[in-house]
Amino acid sequence: MGAFLYGVSLQWKLDIRSKTLLITCYIVPLLFFAIMGGIFTSVMPEARDTLIQSMTVFGVTMGALIGLPPSLVEIYSSDIKKVYKANGVPLYLGLVLTNISAYIHLFIMSIILYIAAPLVFHAKIPQNPGKYFISLAVFIAVSLSIASIIGLAVKDQAKTSMFSIIIFIPSTMLSGIMFPMEFLPKAFQTIGKLFPASWGYKLMTENAFKFESLLPFLLIFTLAIVMCNILLRRIDK
Amino acid sequence: MNEAIKISNLTKSYGTHAVLNGLDFCVQKGEIFALLGINGAGKTTSLECIEGLRKYDSGTIAINGIMGIQLQSASLPKYMKALEAVKLFAKWNKTSLDKAALDALGIYELAKKPYYQLSTGQKRRLHLALALTRNPDILFLDEPTAGLDVEGQISLHEQIRQLKAMGKTIILASHDMAEVENLCDRIAILSGGRSAYIGTVKQLGETIGKHYNITIQTESRTEKYESENIGDSLLSLLMQYKEKGETITDIQINRGSLEQHFIKIAKGE
Repeated sequence: MGAFLYGVSLQWKLDIRSKTLLITCYIVPLLFFAIMGGIFTSVMPEARDTLIQSMTVFGVTMGALIGLPPSLVEIYSSDIKKVYKANGVPLYLGLVLTNISAYIHLFIMSIILYIAAPLVFHAKIPQNPGKYFISLAVFIAVSLSIASIIGLAVKDQAKTSMFSIIIFIPSTMLSGIMFPMEFLPKAFQTIGKLFPASWGYKLMTENAFKFESLLPFLLIFTLAIVMCNILLRRIDK
Repeated sequence: MNEAIKISNLTKSYGTHAVLNGLDFCVQKGEIFALLGINGAGKTTSLECIEGLRKYDSGTIAINGIMGIQLQSASLPKYMKALEAVKLFAKWNKTSLDKAALDALGIYELAKKPYYQLSTGQKRRLHLALALTRNPDILFLDEPTAGLDVEGQISLHEQIRQLKAMGKTIILASHDMAEVENLCDRIAILSGGRSAYIGTVKQLGETIGKHYNITIQTESRTEKYESENIGDSLLSLLMQYKEKGETITDIQINRGSLEQHFIKIAKGE
């Protein structure tokens, strides 16, 4: 257990030293919040009701999809994995540690948004904070699981960025955080439902847990775990 | 049992290309053993099969002890510092840090440097330190001095000798005959996926004593000959030149070097 906790704390430090994660998990989401939060609440004052949720969905999606895969590519598409394996460190450790560290960073960024949005833009605090944070915890985990597939499946940094952006753009544009889902064409609504961001936004804006809102997360997460397992075995060969 | 490693009839192919074709050798406890061969001879493949990093097709591998592995091409996360890496691997292997060994390898001097700032030599030392975190009985070193300057090579050779003095069995892959001559108790020269020669460097040197290179220069050309019987060969060559009516302007006779002999064996000549 001591080795695992040391690994988590070390990965946390590595992520702080890496400018990429700092930018994708903190600077860009918070900058987006500062600018778009001002625009949204000026153009549509009712945006204050869901500002915390929409900005959090954007930040988490960005941090997970753009921030995590490069760390995984660094480990699994280089000689690092051979060094780990040769020296008795299990191959899955890199995946687990980077996910835990990214999870903590994204949660901290979400808390900053939760505190800052009401102060800066008079955003409405979710009616049930406990339910909100549990929804957030589920949403971060599922977003990271999708990002893990990209990081394990793609073998170089340039392609990783391309795949991450291909998933990131429709995730945020069709999730309902920019425009209400019901205003989107039917086809776009359907495409939007393929990504966790739309379900995350729905889950965090609802006042109660509904099984039909949690089910997509369960399906996506299970599928992602299976995929990650297959990809790790392929890397191990 | 005095054998640290015993390899029997090991085979490994990549597609239709057979890299190992019935490789046999054994390594005794406490010795420094080298796998020699030209590039592509199968040194790294052999080591990786023994280390468990690569699957082999057939044959048997018996290992008697804990392994520590320094890979030929190795890397760590860019921002990981040297001492952090050593601590992570030691904690994961549930071993305590051997402060004397880390000091000897100069790891404490590098402690705060992130991996990407380390020189090639410093990275080699760090990866050797990582290989030692399992407190191994058998140490695998794949081209340990590749890319190092002369000072770095001398320093690493000294550290390898110290590890042998501590009772470690060391198996290294190299294509540098001078390094092997300097360090190793026994060698295996790989050729065609098999051991073409197994024995001490001294024994290999003794065979060279019988081997001569003869260079004969005439007014129009220079020819090179090889011989194991210098007297008869030289007499026969002189007669041939006389019969052809060519005037010899210079004759040079040299014993072949260990390196030349190694290349001949390695190339299967």
